[in-house]
Amino acid sequence: MLIIMLLLVVFSGAVLCAQSAINGRLGAEVGVLESAWLTFALGTLVSFLYAFLFEPPHAMTLFTVPRWQITGAFFGVLYMLVIVFAMPRVGTAAATVAVISGQLLMSLLVDHFGWFGNHVIHLGSSRMIAIGLLAVALVLIYKSNAAEAVTKRTQAITG
Amino acid sequence: MQQLWILPLVVLAGMGLSVEAGLLGPLGEQIGHGWATLGIFGLGTLLLTLGLVFARPRLGRLFGKPRWMLVGGVLGPVYVGALTLATPHIGVGLTMVGILFGQVAASLVIDHFGWFGAGKRPVDHYRVGALVAILGALWFINI
Repeated sequence: MLIIMLLLVVFSGAVLCAQSAINGRLGAEVGVLESAWLTFALGTLVSFLYAFLFEPPHAMTLFTVPRWQITGAFFGVLYMLVIVFAMPRVGTAAATVAVISGQLLMSLLVDHFGWFGNHVIHLGSSRMIAIGLLAVALVLIYKSNAAEAVTKRTQAITG
Repeated sequence: MQQLWILPLVVLAGMGLSVEAGLLGPLGEQIGHGWATLGIFGLGTLLLTLGLVFARPRLGRLFGKPRWMLVGGVLGPVYVGALTLATPHIGVGLTMVGILFGQVAASLVIDHFGWFGAGKRPVDHYRVGALVAILGALWFINI
């Protein structure tokens, strides 16, 4: 189960990367709000089709669960607005690393305390080592993005 | 990079993404993963539509673009669906690190082949290094 779930997650990360590459192009040409709207509208359509056709009935529904459980959407939209605001001001490299740091930090906290009804997974010594490795990865990602920005600038100058 | 105060804001936004994932897992268990995914996209669409009504929407432009540029929207549910499916089984931390791995790996492949009109770029050694470090982190988070 672990391996299947891990493969699924890695695959969806790859899909997410493809999506942001495509949406980046679209956003630059038609506007950020417009492309975000299309992403969410099509996402609604696809997930409704899937849920309506294939999801077996559950005791609880979208309309009977406690409201705080469906507030996840606000975080997604807020994230998008912050990124659109921050990217041009602090640069892609810094923004990317800041997002990932926040994401990883919070995910480990949610696991450790079992917030929002999640299983508790303690922040033990092996997870501490993982944090160290992730910090290395973040430094490398920052360097990679910064180098890329420099390449783009030189290309723009030299034509 | 003069506006350093923006960075904590971006960190908070990133934390929000993990809160979203943390909320999604238990929600999906209760009402079904498909409905949980729909909840995210449905609410997001309503909020953005509200925003668009008061902005100056040029939605018509979307359909003047080649169709492959519009498929980003179809890919969105894959990510959200995977979040609701995976987090109850492997936890939010491992899920996020796994997604990061997929993203960095895909960015290398996309650059190498120059897909989506981004232009080819040689393999970036920094990112290969990052990928190796993330793989190590995946291993240590597991034990």
